[in-house]
Amino acid sequence: MLSHKIAALCAAALFVPIVPAQTATLPAPPANGEMGFVFAHFAPAIHQGDQDCPDGPVATLRDNYLQTQAPAERLRLLEKPNEAELTRRWTGYAFGPQGTNICTHPDKFDRPPQRIVQGKVAQGLDLDGGADAEGCDHDPFTSPTGQAGVDNQMWRAMGCVRTWRGVDGTGGDIVRGLTQFLISGEHTQVLLLTGVDSLSDDPDVTVIYANSEDRAVVDAKQNFMPDASYTVVANAQHRNVLKGRIVGGVLMTDPAHIRLRQSWGQGSERDIRGKRTEYDMTKARLRLTFQPDGSLKGLVGGYQPIWNIMASASIGGEGAATTAGYDCAAMYAALKKLADGDRDPATGQCRRISSAMEVLAVPAFVNDTLPATRVAQQ
Amino acid sequence: MIRALYFLAALGLTACSAEKAPQSVSAEPSFAPLKAPLGQIVAMRRLTEAQYRNSIADIFGPDIRVAGRFEPIVRPVHELIATGAASSTISPAGLEQFDAMARAIAAQLFDADHRAQFMACAPRDVAAPDPDCAARVLVPVGRYLFRRPMTQEEVAAYVMMAGKATASSGDFHKGLELALAAMLVSPHFLYVVESAEADPESPGDLRLDNLARASRLSFLLWNTTPNETLLKAAEQGQLTDPSQLAAIAGRMVRSPRLEDGVRAFFADMLLFEKFDEMAKDQIVYPRFNPDVASALSEQMLRMIVDQLVTQKGDYRDLFTTRRTFINRALGPLYQAKVTSTQGWVPYEFAPGDDRAGLLGQAGFLALYAHSGRSSPTLRGRAIRELLLCQPVPNPPGNVNFTAVQDVTSTAMPTAKMRLNAHNSDPVCAACHKITDPLGLPLEKFDGIGAFRRQENGAPIDTAGLFEGVSFQGNIGLGKALAASKSTTECVAGRAFQYATGRVPADDGALAGGIEQDFAKDGYRIASLFLRVATMPQAYRIAAPPLAAPEIAMTTSKGVHP
Repeated sequence: MLSHKIAALCAAALFVPIVPAQTATLPAPPANGEMGFVFAHFAPAIHQGDQDCPDGPVATLRDNYLQTQAPAERLRLLEKPNEAELTRRWTGYAFGPQGTNICTHPDKFDRPPQRIVQGKVAQGLDLDGGADAEGCDHDPFTSPTGQAGVDNQMWRAMGCVRTWRGVDGTGGDIVRGLTQFLISGEHTQVLLLTGVDSLSDDPDVTVIYANSEDRAVVDAKQNFMPDASYTVVANAQHRNVLKGRIVGGVLMTDPAHIRLRQSWGQGSERDIRGKRTEYDMTKARLRLTFQPDGSLKGLVGGYQPIWNIMASASIGGEGAATTAGYDCAAMYAALKKLADGDRDPATGQCRRISSAMEVLAVPAFVNDTLPATRVAQQ
Repeated sequence: MIRALYFLAALGLTACSAEKAPQSVSAEPSFAPLKAPLGQIVAMRRLTEAQYRNSIADIFGPDIRVAGRFEPIVRPVHELIATGAASSTISPAGLEQFDAMARAIAAQLFDADHRAQFMACAPRDVAAPDPDCAARVLVPVGRYLFRRPMTQEEVAAYVMMAGKATASSGDFHKGLELALAAMLVSPHFLYVVESAEADPESPGDLRLDNLARASRLSFLLWNTTPNETLLKAAEQGQLTDPSQLAAIAGRMVRSPRLEDGVRAFFADMLLFEKFDEMAKDQIVYPRFNPDVASALSEQMLRMIVDQLVTQKGDYRDLFTTRRTFINRALGPLYQAKVTSTQGWVPYEFAPGDDRAGLLGQAGFLALYAHSGRSSPTLRGRAIRELLLCQPVPNPPGNVNFTAVQDVTSTAMPTAKMRLNAHNSDPVCAACHKITDPLGLPLEKFDGIGAFRRQENGAPIDTAGLFEGVSFQGNIGLGKALAASKSTTECVAGRAFQYATGRVPADDGALAGGIEQDFAKDGYRIASLFLRVATMPQAYRIAAPPLAAPEIAMTTSKGVHP
């Protein structure tokens, strides 16, 4: 089919050059060409560049409130005897009229964007091939290995947030939190590759990227055990069937709309959209490198709704603002400003933002009992 | 269970699911106190935890919670817990636990949600004693708990106890609760009291009487208290009639509830209580998590039941069968795909897989290993002692274990090499010759029973030797055990010991005789259990009887039962 071939060619052109895997050390694929994996890591791809946040990390709500005050008043409030007053005033800054608060309703507050990443290097994939007629202008990053055209505006917007960025090469709380949610089964993700003839080069591999209701099987150190069994969810919405290929020991998939369940966070009544969140990535693709130990490492990239990026903070509601100190309105403003996908033709505002999730998948047995589903295509 | 049949009886229906819910509370004979004197007590065997729990569930219903710690029954060396139960006492601390459990059970029975199901009458005044109603409630319950009708003295004492408690509490149900709690800590409930009568076939000797035989059959075959059918059969004297005994026992071994009896027997024979104390080094074996630990014994029992009960298979094939069961927790350990999210699913090893048979199950391999390494010696000893009934002497106290404990040795990378070095001492070698040739074939399984191709990078030699036959690996070991007469004689002898709670003086000859019948029936476990449940020797009393029975009950005011 012509459209099928065109899509494949376009997809091949969109990917940034890849670093070949150590294909000589890769194991042979199983005789039936079927390989299963469970995700042991799925979190924003972190890169801590030296020049990323020259003015420091993202300011807290308290800091931002103080900036709204005249210098003399600011100094007065910072005096120790006035701490109670300052606390009352900056926490009050988190609330608006009619019971709104800055994290549950960040779009109801007009605040300047938070500090964004100034560096030029980030992890990610080239999602738009340099230009997307449906997107918004932005400056692509260069990858840590020097590949240009990396689209990851999510990192640009969020990379100076303490709980994302982390320190000294270790990601922030969001990385640990999402890993813990994987362990507790909040968003178990599996991969099932079929038609694998070689881990080095195979032009045609079907990739089922799906959720499982099964809780992770972990060892005493909370590491995912290889060779555990997982069953794909019955809900076809969260069973994404992708077209893929293996080049130089790297598995890549064609762009597709990937949707995956995730149920971490609070109950639906506190969710800003009135329902539990899900990973919703358009023009999304996988780039995963086979490892000698049988695992897969790499990135999942795609355009996510800007609301999803700040789901954690928003679900936290007023507590996220007054306890964690998030200025969610500033966060929302930055995400809205940097959004680069799914432009609204009427307003010109982009509603999605390019993103990259770093992943590790370990070998597993995956039961896929659903009838064959059409391969998703862009 | 008893309470379900109140309603069945009220409706004039019979219990169609009589095995799982066999008890009924009919007016006769359960309301009648024991008229004949109790027989001569010849043995008292303490209930195991499983027997206690099964009894409560069968009598009162599975929703009655039993919560507490059970004082363990000490296993005599090289014997069964079933034989230990025949000489087991209860310490004051153990009795406190039984008392707490008894009070909790009684409170549930007579709470507002349950009492209607257990009361055949309503008190005239709910705040005042009502001896007649109390008796109508307690007498049938006591018959099930004591596995015989209560004596008149017992009835009077428990009714009096209920009355006094009612008077002091102002609550008739509280009175019943106290009386029932007292019954649950009675030796007549906590122990299976075996009573005997004169043996007409052998004047001057004794044999177990009918009621004792009912308990024997029920605990042996179903691991629970006798049901209504069995109690009635005993009360009608059917169980001392060989043909009727055979017919009743035959029906019982054909019941699905035989699974409970087989499970209990093998859990006893294979020392499953050791699973409760099994610990593995989390640094060496991070994959050994609590889910794995709790699944190991269940996997072995499911395999045993499937082969011996469900498939009605040959006992010898238990050592070679490729059929087992698996769940998600065990999947990574076996590197096997588990097709079900929940529970257990059948699993069959591929032809030639060294996992085949009981000894290839991770439970056996993990149980008989050290916390941080495998042990050909422990595994070989377990095979000798548990499966072949061949006791192995303990090592002397001054053994130098340095060589075998150096598990990272580059000079001696495998357990076999280290044992060879250890056995350069002839004192050590004498016993290791007995154990190690049976344990070394299992060395491709590490200390938690996971498969390994090498140890410290060196190939593993799984050569073994048994009864003069050389073989390789677990498959060879399983075939060798299956071919040995010692294997079938051992389980036959164990079955007799399990049934009777004693090791007969002529153990060898008796086991040989049982084994011959076992062989004639194709080594089917149901036949073996039926044999030991019906053979006259199992009911013959060899030991001198205990002192004449005295029921420590009185109706005298102020004297506690």
